[in-house]
Amino acid sequence: MHYPFWDQPIGYGVLMAAIAVFHVFVSHFAIGGGLYLVVNEHFARQAGDAERLGFLEKLSKFFALVTLVAGALTGVAIWFVIGLLAPAATEALIHNYVWGWATEWTFFVVEIAAAMLYFYGWKKMTARAHLTMGWIYFVAAWLSLVIINGILTFMLTPGRWLATGNFWDGFFNPTYWPSLVLRTGVCVMLAGLYALLVASRLDPGGFKAKTVRQAAIWSLAGLAVTVLSQVWYWKAIPADLTAKALQAMPTPIRSIEISFWLAGVIALGMLVLAASAPRKLGTAVALGFMALGLAWFGAFEWSRESLRKPYIITGYIYGNGAEVAEAANYQRDGYLAQIPYRTGHDGADLFRHACRNCHTLEGYKALKPAFAGTDRAFIAAIIQGAQHLKGNMPPFMGTAAEAELIADHLYQRIDKRPLADIYKLDGTALGRKVYDIRCGKCHVFGTDSDKTKSLAGQSAEDLNGLLDMAASMGEGMPAFTADAAERKALVTYLQTLGKGGRP
Amino acid sequence: MTLPDYHFLSAPLWLVTVLHLLTLTLHFFAMNILVGGAAITLWASARNRWDGTQAVDFSRLFPAATAATVTLGVAPLLFLQLVYPGQVYAAAIVSGWFWLLVIAAVIVAYYAFYRASFSGQRTGRANLVMLTLAMAGLVYVSLVYSSVFSMAEQPALIRSLYAKDQSGWVWNPAIGSYALRWLHMLLGALTVGGFFVGMTGKDNPKVLATGKAAFAGGMGLAAAAGFAYLLVLMPYLEAIMRSLAIWSLAASILLSLAALHFYFRKSYWIAGVALFLSVFGMVYLRHTVRILRLKETFEPTAWRIAPQWSPFLLFLVCFVVMLAVLVWMFWLFFGAKNQAGRAE
Repeated sequence: MHYPFWDQPIGYGVLMAAIAVFHVFVSHFAIGGGLYLVVNEHFARQAGDAERLGFLEKLSKFFALVTLVAGALTGVAIWFVIGLLAPAATEALIHNYVWGWATEWTFFVVEIAAAMLYFYGWKKMTARAHLTMGWIYFVAAWLSLVIINGILTFMLTPGRWLATGNFWDGFFNPTYWPSLVLRTGVCVMLAGLYALLVASRLDPGGFKAKTVRQAAIWSLAGLAVTVLSQVWYWKAIPADLTAKALQAMPTPIRSIEISFWLAGVIALGMLVLAASAPRKLGTAVALGFMALGLAWFGAFEWSRESLRKPYIITGYIYGNGAEVAEAANYQRDGYLAQIPYRTGHDGADLFRHACRNCHTLEGYKALKPAFAGTDRAFIAAIIQGAQHLKGNMPPFMGTAAEAELIADHLYQRIDKRPLADIYKLDGTALGRKVYDIRCGKCHVFGTDSDKTKSLAGQSAEDLNGLLDMAASMGEGMPAFTADAAERKALVTYLQTLGKGGRP
Repeated sequence: MTLPDYHFLSAPLWLVTVLHLLTLTLHFFAMNILVGGAAITLWASARNRWDGTQAVDFSRLFPAATAATVTLGVAPLLFLQLVYPGQVYAAAIVSGWFWLLVIAAVIVAYYAFYRASFSGQRTGRANLVMLTLAMAGLVYVSLVYSSVFSMAEQPALIRSLYAKDQSGWVWNPAIGSYALRWLHMLLGALTVGGFFVGMTGKDNPKVLATGKAAFAGGMGLAAAAGFAYLLVLMPYLEAIMRSLAIWSLAASILLSLAALHFYFRKSYWIAGVALFLSVFGMVYLRHTVRILRLKETFEPTAWRIAPQWSPFLLFLVCFVVMLAVLVWMFWLFFGAKNQAGRAE
């Protein structure tokens, strides 16, 4: 609320995810890859395996180019972008964890210097010194994970910190250890996938087969640690959060399911590669496994981010930057009084600060189609009952007049024609659309708010009666303000629910 | 339950300020070597000023200099955001896209430096296209930083710009307030770059001559731009004259001249230390200017201080260990440098 709002057309979530997922993919490889290099170099030197040393030198060039440039700079990019998208939360994190970040920086400096010296040192250093450099690199890189993991997990599960404000209470929060083990497993898994990619460029033959098998075994080992610790991670999340997710938040649950499926596919692929040790492996196949790894990581991170909703720091700051501790002020004085950067358009300013962090008008989580064909009163009611929507929206803590201002701002921009005209629908199909727009924002099929059973078998008269008294049902239910044709279509549709439930 | 209040500093302000100034000086020094060194190398290559593979040899240093610049830039930005979040974030948001594109520009510059370094190894010639591309990226970054950090010192300007445009495509229009500052920074980079080029290539007369010319000439021009910038700061000049910053500026000028003196007498390490201290003095002046420009709207001493000593101690220990490990690593690398073949 206290900062200007960056009103860019890409959804905040999409922009953040695009940078963050790419960064974590590279940065975890930066850790696991370091271990892969130094362990393999150790054994290759013991065995006097010049061919393997040559392969590792080649891998280290790829490693340096990817991690030092893309890895390090996308890490800085995350820092830049969170300051733009969530300045209040970033400020809170920096004030609480500045010494954590400063400590991580010391490891970062060592990591970067060691990576460069390791890469340039193949022909310049003694074997022992080069191996030492490799171990320094890996330890520094992993220690940077040890630190940043505390801050990352704090955002989902701040634990006792909410009561004590103590640095260590927040740092060693409930998901700290499972997340650390999980991410360490990911590092090893990704190192195997990257090694597979470099190995795919080798000439067909026995050495390639051996290298592919070894990379596959690395990936499998990492994957085993990852999957087991993902279960531990889930169990470490406070029960109220997981219960809420299971009841009403399909996104994180679906993401977790997808991550397990992807882990299964990767495991299967790696088992096949480890067993068959192919002398030929195309780069396309290796890239395919990299893509699967990236998709796995994307699904996992998406689940973590979604589980946190409606907060950006659980129990402390909402996704739109509203601070839980400021709730009384918002309710008393309204949001506008807390927004120092104004444009002269109150509705637009309120919309930006209350909604735009997650929603766009036409792109990601678009509101124009979500409210198409509705009216000001309905939109204002939805805004005021926001916390009831799908269980992952922050409450609207401004005044009723401010909700009206946002509603008016949105109403000016939506398609105002009846739904039948907008979507060229009639009958049950129109009823379903009316349901989706006016009811389905809260009553999601398959979740705790699914009212299919209680509506089944009701007469048209009963259903009309329910619609008439919608506003008095509490829990933020808006009045039913659609026109007669849409009401009729909705009632017709609701009656089909009785004949087998969901259409 | 009363939730913790995050509006505090987890160490005394003086300590955070010292760390900020120290790490910012380190960052500036590395950045100056990179920007100035790359500019001089590009110029010398384009004009065929040097013999042999000197330009290629310099090109091979720039990826490491980029890594040092980026890495050393993290800490001062962290400490800056700790004390001045309201100003820095607000200015960055108003110029959001330009700010975020800094990362893309650095990635392009970084890869271009690598490419120049690798292709130079093969061809024996500096890759002018790649060096030009890298320089373009760095100049973009310097312009954005000057624009955004100057805007961060003018809250009223941020408000008026934001009121008109919220898209993040807003460039600081008060060019007069930062053009000379930007020029001074760039010429300062040329100065330090000249110092670095001359010192590194001291055995090659042509390279040494280029380095000397850039060092001395850059210093003169940077001083001229710096004094001109002081005139832009006229409303604050009296306050600067009454502050410690004026002594810091005077010391910096003397140290710069001392650096020049020792450089021409080939006492490079003494010259380097004098130059570093000179940059530190300039950084302190810069810090004072920020405080003065923000005085009416923000007072850093107003922060509530709630020290977190145990995490700070952890940082301190890790910082000392970092220094020791860095020394050890460089000893391992350079100490073993001439033992080629033993690694096989």
